[in-house]
Amino acid sequence: MAEFLNNYGFLIVTVVQQALLGMSLYYPLSAGQLSLASPGFYALGGYIAAIIGTAELFAPWRDLLGKAVFPLEWIIAGVASALLSLVIGLPALRLRGIYLALATIAFVQIVRVISLNLSITGGAIGIFGIPQLFESRWGYIWIFGPLLAATLLFTWRLEQGRIGRAFRAIREDELAAEAMGINPTRYKVQAFIIGGTLAGVVGAMSAPFLNTWNARQGTFDASIAYLAYVLIGGTRSLWGALLGAALLATLPEILRPLNDSRLIINGMVLVIVSIYLPQGIVGALARLRGAGKKKGVPAGGKT
Amino acid sequence: MTGLLDVKGVSRCFGGLKAVNDVSFRVEKGEIFGLIGPNGAGKTTLFNLISGLTPVSGGILSYDGVPLNSLPPHKVARLGIGRTFQNIRLFKGLSALENVKIARHSRTRAGLWGSVFGFPASHREEQEVKQRAGEILALVGLDNRADELASSFSYGDQRRLEIARALALEPRLLLLDEPAAGMNSAEKHGLTQFIREIRDRFNLTILLIEHHVPLVMGLCDRIAVLNFGELIALGPPAEVQKDPSVIEAYLGGD
Repeated sequence: MAEFLNNYGFLIVTVVQQALLGMSLYYPLSAGQLSLASPGFYALGGYIAAIIGTAELFAPWRDLLGKAVFPLEWIIAGVASALLSLVIGLPALRLRGIYLALATIAFVQIVRVISLNLSITGGAIGIFGIPQLFESRWGYIWIFGPLLAATLLFTWRLEQGRIGRAFRAIREDELAAEAMGINPTRYKVQAFIIGGTLAGVVGAMSAPFLNTWNARQGTFDASIAYLAYVLIGGTRSLWGALLGAALLATLPEILRPLNDSRLIINGMVLVIVSIYLPQGIVGALARLRGAGKKKGVPAGGKT
Repeated sequence: MTGLLDVKGVSRCFGGLKAVNDVSFRVEKGEIFGLIGPNGAGKTTLFNLISGLTPVSGGILSYDGVPLNSLPPHKVARLGIGRTFQNIRLFKGLSALENVKIARHSRTRAGLWGSVFGFPASHREEQEVKQRAGEILALVGLDNRADELASSFSYGDQRRLEIARALALEPRLLLLDEPAAGMNSAEKHGLTQFIREIRDRFNLTILLIEHHVPLVMGLCDRIAVLNFGELIALGPPAEVQKDPSVIEAYLGGD
């Protein structure tokens, strides 16, 4: 067991962490908005945790709070990301479709360039030697795991109620939703804030996990990776991001023996899944189950 | 009777085209009011102006004394104006029940945390939404298909589902845009009965656009005729039917 965790602990925690980042993109998507802003909030949250964890200025906090400084970092990162989501979301969500995607990519770039140039974020070198919360990498499962469980439960409850219905209505037909008394701007911004806050908190948890934090943490590549988790896993289910992340984050490891050609195979899997499973893995599983059910109905049973 | 919807000199231009030109009429409470006219006469544009989807270029729209001119569609809906669409805009990827539940939005209050934590008030409200949506589906005869996707319904059933969705909003004024389109004659007859029934049951005032003349004549208390964006006749069906300008608009003069 110890050896297994030694070899795969980091990978498992990474899958959970990546699934959470996929979820952060899922909320706006469930309200029909293609936002790629998550890496920006992820980077912000990470810098907040890294700065509180290392800067001289915050030494008294660290001495006073001990390990309790970590939850404080998460809370500050969450609140800061929520506020920034509101400020960015209000104007950005006036845009639709690909224009919103472009605006959110621009936001990610702005965060990256700012962090490359400020001295407090360590410029191009970034911040390293971030104090650890756990002794081993595997230990971080005790924060990412519960966060994922809480996020899935939150999402499940959300989707059953009034707010989740409003999200779906906007995704299906924004104009009809508005004619049914739903304020689209309000709920689009709400979905965007939920996603941004989650990404910020995950960032704050990830800074100690990864030990260093720099401008490579929030890039356009990451935007696409998170989007791929949700698309491959399935955009219509809260389990999509988890399944997608599990597949895409482990695939390069499974294919490691193939050396350089693994990236080619990795790419081919992406292409094949998107062509043959347009509803993602969750959609394909649901269809399989549906087909199984239909076989049970006697012919002509339904008129 | 007192006026519920007041349309005063309302206009809407699209570039140089006057889609609705200085139209005035008043819909009384409890009335079934028909809006007819040839294709392109501006009927649907007028519906869009009332429901706030298209801003008014000029004139005043008021509902029960409240000016509608600058209200966004969701606020108009909250005031109690429900509508259906000419080209059916159901939430096609969702079940019939969900379509109806969504329209309960403005009549419920649960916030994010209420929903997520299932506070007693939110829980009760959710049960109520479910029950109410089921009742309304039963009213249009679709309760046995509540869990089927809206897109799997026949055209006529989609129209009925759209009316059910609009009713779930608890409107006082219901705008129906060609409710009989695509229905066969038996269904059309049933629809006439149904519209009267919901008017009486929910104390509704109904404004409807319809091309099928016998249906309009048999159902409506009063009719307004639009042609090229202008109101050319207004009155009870029998009067409007004899109006020479109406005959000309429909059949062409000379």
